[in-house]
Formats: sequence, structure tokens, C-alpha cells
Amino acid sequence: MEGIVATGLIGISLGAQYALLALGFTLIFGILGVVNFAHGGFYVLGGYLAYSAVTYLGLPYALAVIAAALGTTALGYLFERFVLDHVIDDHLATLMLTLGLYLMMSSGLLVIFGPQSPAFSFPLTGVLRGHGFYVPIENLVVLAVCLVGILSIYALIYYTDFGRALRALADDRSVATAQGLRPKLLFPTAFALATGLAGLTGALVTPILSLAPHVGDPVLATSFLIVILGGLGSIGGATVAAFLVGMVEAFSAVYLGGSKGALALFVLVLIMLVVRPSGLFGHRVRGA
Amino acid sequence: MASIDLGAARSGSIAETASVVIIAAAFIPWISQNPAVYSLANQILIGVTAALSVYIMLRMNLMTFAVPTFMAIGGYTAAILGLRHGVTDVLLLGIASFVVPALFALPLGALVLRLTGVYFVLVTFVLTEITQLVLFEMPGWTGGANGLVGMPAVTFFGIELGDNRAVLLVTTGLALAGALITAAVTRRLRQHFAAIEENELLAQSLGLVVWHHKAFGFAIAGGVSGLAGFALVNMLLTAHPTSFSPLSSVNYIAYTIIGGKSTMLGPLVGGALLIWAGEIFALRGEFSQLLFGFLIVVVVLAAREGIVGTVSRFLLFLSSRVLRRSTINPGSGALGAPAATESQP
Repeated sequence: MEGIVATGLIGISLGAQYALLALGFTLIFGILGVVNFAHGGFYVLGGYLAYSAVTYLGLPYALAVIAAALGTTALGYLFERFVLDHVIDDHLATLMLTLGLYLMMSSGLLVIFGPQSPAFSFPLTGVLRGHGFYVPIENLVVLAVCLVGILSIYALIYYTDFGRALRALADDRSVATAQGLRPKLLFPTAFALATGLAGLTGALVTPILSLAPHVGDPVLATSFLIVILGGLGSIGGATVAAFLVGMVEAFSAVYLGGSKGALALFVLVLIMLVVRPSGLFGHRVRGA
Repeated sequence: MASIDLGAARSGSIAETASVVIIAAAFIPWISQNPAVYSLANQILIGVTAALSVYIMLRMNLMTFAVPTFMAIGGYTAAILGLRHGVTDVLLLGIASFVVPALFALPLGALVLRLTGVYFVLVTFVLTEITQLVLFEMPGWTGGANGLVGMPAVTFFGIELGDNRAVLLVTTGLALAGALITAAVTRRLRQHFAAIEENELLAQSLGLVVWHHKAFGFAIAGGVSGLAGFALVNMLLTAHPTSFSPLSSVNYIAYTIIGGKSTMLGPLVGGALLIWAGEIFALRGEFSQLLFGFLIVVVVLAAREGIVGTVSRFLLFLSSRVLRRSTINPGSGALGAPAATESQP
């Protein structure tokens, strides 16, 4: 019983991290119609920015996390505004551009920081023990921040004019533009928001898991998995699917071992893509 | 209109013939005995063969990440046949490494080819991840994390092909087979593929059995990848999951896009240049990825036709300038066309 509760908590905390990542990914696809191959890159970049801020600038960890989120937001904005925007309507071109950016980011980090993982650990440690369960405190902190992040995104998308504008653009770009919304302004902002989320997640999670130039690869794969499962472009779907994937990973890692859980998830996603490409909750946002 | 089509078809045929001839040239015993040269030639030929299958899929406007999947099937097929069943004949192994992935691609294609655009990209990416996991989770067949080692050297009518030179010969043969198959299929089905690329719905309504051609193209692309997989396993003397990593597909896509996706010379030139450039950075491998990423961005933004397309356009431009000078307006020097109109009184 204890094991199940503890594993469940790990699953929830994984799910919250994944949700934050996948929300950014799905926002980019829903609003801009871009599959962001650089998403894992922004996650790693967030981690390295936080690490550099702590190590070289001596900032406290909390400020470093904010700096990392801001840095990845800025890079995302510039990339969308000056590179991606030129070919925004061409799916394959935007895909190749984000892929190119990812290659440059991960190898750039490798050149600057070297292949070894730097010593970067969470400032708080300790274990919270309760009735029949125990959780590391750092996981709780990350979970709390992630939940706040997820709720903020929901509030932003569903209860502000900015969010309404983004949803309108996602729904029908030409009508929204005719109504006076400006994609030239909103697209870079939306992209920046999403990459900022990836950077924030990276800054929060890499001290607990690991930081190395190539930890973005599995992050990219997991983001894919979640947004396909939840439905590309669907915000609610991505959130539910993220927690689902977090749970499956936690329980299969503890009770099955190896990568059988991951294999099962991937096969599930493959079947899902073939049978119902719009995912669990999505409707077909873009002409496939 | 018809003349444009003919022009495209003619330049396509020239590119196909040139590609086949260039690959066949690797058969010539060059003087070098340097193992590094052999290794580089091997890598280029394997990379080009794999990139050719990306090229075939792009004929139908489908971007595939699944190349490592079919390479793994081809490579492991050859390894298992050699190791467990004692098959060493290079022809038999080559045929098996083409046919097995191609057959595997047919039922798979029936499922995934209903998707297009971004969804097809995602499903093929997921396939490469599944491939990795399956290779690790089926140690009975694939040797798991250890891979398969100790395959007997391949033979050609009883002659053992074991040394550096012979391995390069095998790779060249496989690359040549891949190039011939690619040229034959894309030439034979040029208009069908073009119709699918241009407007699939229209093609279908005009009576083209789109599904049929896409499945065939997917199977051929899978088979060509399989040949590259066999060549890779034969060169490395081991079949290992890391040889077929999901992100290695990015390299093959990069060769094709940077080289130019409109003719068969594109993957060849792109593969040769980029792998050679990677070799220059051999000590600092990360720089080659940096270069790939940068070149991809440059090609997509500034030179959509890749190296081959841009160079041939430039050559055409130059030759038309030269022609114009010499025929239309022989006397007027630098200002070609404008001078010709102004000279009318």
C-alpha cells in the first residue's frame, strides 16, 4: 500500500512536469501550426541558464529559475519573429527550422559546457514523511510550482483578452486576422510563452533529474507522446494525457522495470495516431 | 506547360544517371591504402543510400523519420541470417535486407499512409522510438543491449569479402543497388508521384489509385533503407541498437534537404559533403551537428532547392547570360537585354 501511494505521488509530480512541457508544445501547434522540434532544446537551455546564473552570477536558485524562464522566452520570441515567421504557413519548412534550431542548441551547449553533467542540485533537500508515505521535499516544491504554472496558463488562455485572441487565431486564422487580430504580434508572443514554459520546466527539473546537453531528446519524445495522446493543439487533452503518462511511467518503472511501460505507451500512441489522429480529446485543428 | 514537364523530366534523368555513375565510380580501385579514406567512403555511401529513401518519400510530399527503423530491420535481418543460419552469400543477404523491410513496410504503410503532413512526421518519429525499445526488449532475437556480434564475413560466390577493400566493395554494391532501384522507381512513377505531391485529392479524383502508389513507394523506400542497414552492419561488424538511434534519422533528412530534394543528385551531394565535413570535425564531433543545424536553417530560409538546385540555377543563369550576350546582342557588352530594346530608334 505504502509503495502504491509513494509511486502515485511520483507519478503526479512527473505528470505536472510533463503537463507544463506539453502545454507549451500544444500551444505552439494549436496556434501557429508548428511542430516544435526545439522544445526539448529549450528545456535543456533553461536548465543550463539556471545553472549558469547560480554558478557564475551567484544568484539564488529561485531568481535563477526566473532568469532561465525569461531567457528562453526571449530566445523563443526572437526565433519566431525573425526566422520562423517567414515560412509560418509551410508545415515542413517550420519543422525543418525548429529541427535545425534544436541541432544548433544542443551542440552549442555541448561546445560551451562539455559533455559531462555539471554539479547542479536542488537547494532544498529532505524527505516529508506522513501516514504511510514519504515524498522528497524538492518534488513537492516542483509540483507546487508546476501546478501554479498550469493554472496560470489556463487563466491566461481562458480568462484574458490575450488568451481569447490566441484561441481565435488557433480556431481560424484568416477570420481572426480579418477581425483585427495581428498574428505578427501574437505569434511571436505565443511562441515565446511556450518556450518560456519549457525553459521554466528545465530550470526546475534538471537539478533533480540530470543536466547534460542531450537530456532534451527524451523530453522531446515524451512531449510528442503526450500531445498526440491528448490531441494535437488541445490544452485540456495535453494536461490529462501528461498526468496519464506520468502515472504509467512511475508505476511501470517500479513494478515492471526496464522500458516495457514506455514501449506500451509508444505502441498505444501509434495505435491512437492511426485510429484517431485527433487524440483523446482533440478535434482536428489543422488539415492534416 | 508540357515543355516545362519535359525539362524537369530531362534534368531529373540527367541527375539520376549522374548519381548512378558517381556511385559506381566507387568500384574503381583508387590508389589510396589509407583506412581512413575507406572508412569515409563507406560512411558516405551508407549515408547516401539512407538519404535516398528520404528522397523517395519526399517525391510524395511525405517527410519520413522512419529510416532508422527500416535500416534496423535490414541490418538485423542480415546479421541474424549470417549468425544463426550461416548465410554468407552477399547476394542472398542483400536481397533479404531489401525484401524483408519492404514486406514489413506494406502492412505498416496500410496503417500510417492514411496520415499526411505533420501527422505522418509524428507517426514516423514515434516508430523510431518504438524500434529502439523493441531492439532492447527482445534480447532473444536482437541480443538486446549487447547487439549481435561475430557474424561470419560475407562471401561472393565463395570468395570471402573480409578486408577493408572488400567491405567497401560490398557497400558500393549495396549503394549502387539502392541508387538503381531509386532511379528506376522515381523515373517510372515520376508523374504519378508528382500528381500526389501536387494535389493528392485531385490526383485521386482523376483516377489515380493514390493508396497503391504510396504503399509501393513506402515499401521501396523501406527496402532501400534496409540495404543501407545491411551495409552499416557489415561495416561495423556488429548490429547494435545505437547504430539506429531515432535522431540519426535527422542526419539523413539533413543530407537530402541540404543537398536538394528536387533531384536524385541532392541526397548524393548533400550526403557526401556533410559526411566529409563531419569527418573534418572528427575530433570535435559536436561541431558537425552545429553545422548541420545552421545549414538546414539557411537552406530553408534562403535556398529552398538546396545545394544542387541552387548551383544548377546559378549555372543556368550564367549560361543564359552568356548565350544572350553572344546571340541577341553581340556588340553591347555588359548590358544585355535592356540595351537591346533601347537600341531601337
